[in-house]
Amino acid sequence: MSRGSISLAAILWLVIAFLVLYPLSILLTESFKIAETGGWGIGNFLEFFQDAYYLKTFGNTLFLSTLVLLTTTVFGVPLAYILARYRHWGKTMFTALILLPIVLPAFAGVFAFIIFFGKYGTVNLLLMEIGLVEKPINFIYGLHGLVFIQSLHMLPFIVLGLSAGFTNIDPSFEEAAEVEGASSFRRFFTVTLPLCTPSYMAGAVLVFLWPFTDWLTPMILGQVDFLPSVAYINIAYHFTDMHRKYMGIVSVTVAAIVCITLFLLARRWVEKRKYTGLSKGTTSEGRVIEPGAWVKSGAYAYMVFIAILVLLIPVVLGLAAFSRTWVFEAFPTNWTLENFRLILLESPGLIKNSFLFSGIALIFGIAFGLPVAYLIVRTRVWGKDALDFVITLMLAFPGIAIGVSYLLAFWKDIPLARYWIIMPLALFARRLPYFLRMAHSSYLQLDPSLEEASEVSGAGKIRTFFSISLPLLLKGVLVGVVMFFIMAFQEISTAVFLYKGGWETLPIGIYLNWHRGMEFGIAAAMAFLMIVITFILLLIISRIGGGVLKAAWGAGEK
Amino acid sequence: MAFIEIQNLFKTFKDVVAINHIHLEIKQGEMLTLLGPSGCGKTTTLRCIAGLETPEEGDIVIDSKSMFSQGFVQPSKRGIGMVFQNYAVWPHMKVYNNIVYGLKLQKLSRQKIQEKAQKVLEMVGLVGLENRYPSQLSGGQQQRVALARALVGNPKVLLLDEPLSNLDAKLREELRFEIKSLVRRMGITSVYVTHDQAEAMVISDRIAVMNSGNVVQLGTAQEIYKKPANKFVADFIGTMNFIAGEVVDVLTDTNNVYVKTPFSEKMGCTTPNSTATIGQEVYASIRPEDVEVLTKPPEATENVFKGKIVHKAYLGNFLFFFVNINETMIRVQVPHHLPQKEGQELYVYLNPKKCMILS
Repeated sequence: MSRGSISLAAILWLVIAFLVLYPLSILLTESFKIAETGGWGIGNFLEFFQDAYYLKTFGNTLFLSTLVLLTTTVFGVPLAYILARYRHWGKTMFTALILLPIVLPAFAGVFAFIIFFGKYGTVNLLLMEIGLVEKPINFIYGLHGLVFIQSLHMLPFIVLGLSAGFTNIDPSFEEAAEVEGASSFRRFFTVTLPLCTPSYMAGAVLVFLWPFTDWLTPMILGQVDFLPSVAYINIAYHFTDMHRKYMGIVSVTVAAIVCITLFLLARRWVEKRKYTGLSKGTTSEGRVIEPGAWVKSGAYAYMVFIAILVLLIPVVLGLAAFSRTWVFEAFPTNWTLENFRLILLESPGLIKNSFLFSGIALIFGIAFGLPVAYLIVRTRVWGKDALDFVITLMLAFPGIAIGVSYLLAFWKDIPLARYWIIMPLALFARRLPYFLRMAHSSYLQLDPSLEEASEVSGAGKIRTFFSISLPLLLKGVLVGVVMFFIMAFQEISTAVFLYKGGWETLPIGIYLNWHRGMEFGIAAAMAFLMIVITFILLLIISRIGGGVLKAAWGAGEK
Repeated sequence: MAFIEIQNLFKTFKDVVAINHIHLEIKQGEMLTLLGPSGCGKTTTLRCIAGLETPEEGDIVIDSKSMFSQGFVQPSKRGIGMVFQNYAVWPHMKVYNNIVYGLKLQKLSRQKIQEKAQKVLEMVGLVGLENRYPSQLSGGQQQRVALARALVGNPKVLLLDEPLSNLDAKLREELRFEIKSLVRRMGITSVYVTHDQAEAMVISDRIAVMNSGNVVQLGTAQEIYKKPANKFVADFIGTMNFIAGEVVDVLTDTNNVYVKTPFSEKMGCTTPNSTATIGQEVYASIRPEDVEVLTKPPEATENVFKGKIVHKAYLGNFLFFFVNINETMIRVQVPHHLPQKEGQELYVYLNPKKCMILS
């Protein structure tokens, strides 16, 4: 362990201490502050768990989490199985479509489904037009709508984990069960599914935590009795009422503690039983089945159904974006570019801010993430695992908890929040794991002897990094860069606590326009714009992943 | 005077001792092989010479210059060339750029670089493939690129870490001789790491046999085969029959000892290093090819034992018998015209001069 890597580790720890540990510790200490007396104690927490309202909120959130996890599981297991195991046409396209919600902003889905499934939304109007119903059906406002929207948003996490699991299981496990005489149904439930539980759990925990994080969807659907929404309302609207403010802080803290605890438990559980690595010699494709005609058409119908639900988001927002006064009509009739004109001419600052803040956050992310990846994979510096641990935890941390803690930490003693740099800094801290994970995993795949060969040839460490490591890491790093940018670009939960006039980003603009009432044309146009930008970035990822650098790596590289 | 001196080298990984205070001297122009099973410390020793690992104690002196004790010398400043087990040919660079990477760092003129590259390409037989990417080459060709890259800068020392282990058997055998003649022609001092005893015997001037962090024997291939220092070496190099026993008599003037074994109360053996003491537990050891097979009982009876053929294997140029003598199995290599079948009885003669005691 060289002196260089020790000082590097020290610098990186300082950054983490300042941007993560310090604000979070302030959040925690603030939650122990008694509003009335100015003293300290666990009074806030006692009150939280004794107050019927907050207790109900907590219970509601747990209930919602359970429902969302159940729904995503019930819908996700067959979907993952179809995607991983069946040989079918359009596999790549369907996979891409079904995974799309990961990169779509959560609020885009809410807005789209309100327009489409709302009281006087497209579906209800069509139903009434053909006379099937007299009064509009409440598709969306209420717990069922919340479950639907959050489930669709989180479905990819279940599908992604499980289909990777289904693909990576050594086919001989199932073949052994087949030889023993187990029916395909029995085989699936006694061998395949249990072997996939680790990859399922990894996604399931993120799904379960989403209702503890997502404040926006319940608020827009008028269902505020959930932990994050209550926290948001208490802090953002009632900051003058000290008591409510502190109950808000406690709510945030409770949500954060739940998230971190469950995340850690799931992680430990997953690490204890990793079955997929048990045996060697799996084919890259896994076990692929040619299903019968009936099963196959059923599978298609099912995939198309989910794909349509996902596609509704960009399509409906697109329709809304290009129309004005789309009210009480099944489909818009008044086409216009007015919304875009308003965005581009009257508030171009939003777009500029979004790119500027995300861009600066990205530069921080790269400058921080690459050295961290290097430290974790290539050195034995003391405390590197803890560094990795803290950064990974940010994946589970609710955005509003980071927003609130930044507000508390960087207002009085260190008045950073008075300058716009707080925005990119907060985005950086919140989205850090996205870049680091890509950099980390591509570093792991980089054989150390490639770097050693360079050192032996006479190159120093830094030269080796730039002429050998970086070019070979480039693919992974670029994918990480784009993912980070997409995630920073759509960030709202943290930013909404920190923005001041003139610092609004696109997501905040969408939220404000929606909030102001009938400006959803503009909100939809902004959301549509964001989706388009995200699509372009995704296209870049797939190009990088697929073609551009292929020549250098040859056909052997996947 | 040794060109490379490994002095009291000691290194651990977590709690495992990888190198346990070893000493080694490598002469100028010599090809020395570190041979041993996986985990014996051979690769770690090599990586210490390269400067890719730092020992906790001890030093390495290359060409009268200390590598550790007077300040750590970076791998890039040691004047070494190294061939890695998995070649470590950079996949994003063409063959030519792989080879001249180090030369460019030396700030040589373009013409000089081209000259050197051309020469080494000819040496390893890669002319015409300069503009290929490594992924367009076969395993053997990639190995040649790695070799060319290691040799192009005229290193003082060439380090080879199991360079042939990823190749198929036929190619491996070919390249052994090629590497040997190439390195000998250039006169580079080289250290070769392998776990393949045949490879070590073919390629090296001297072999250092390593086991759990120690050098257990150092010598030429012949010395190590004929006079193994202990049971481990004898077992690792070639095939050896071990008959457990106890020393009952020592004749100090002739190096002869008598050992009580399952075969006889007093079996004649020699001791290679005349250190046997009465009562010592030893293995009477003899190579399969040194066992003489007799179909009839001979007149002399010392070290002649009756046994039964349990297995018979045809191995082309000779036969292998597994012979059961008093419930102990020994392996015997015999000319293939011997007519005996499995289950038949025969007599074996363990020549006391060739039957050494090891522990």
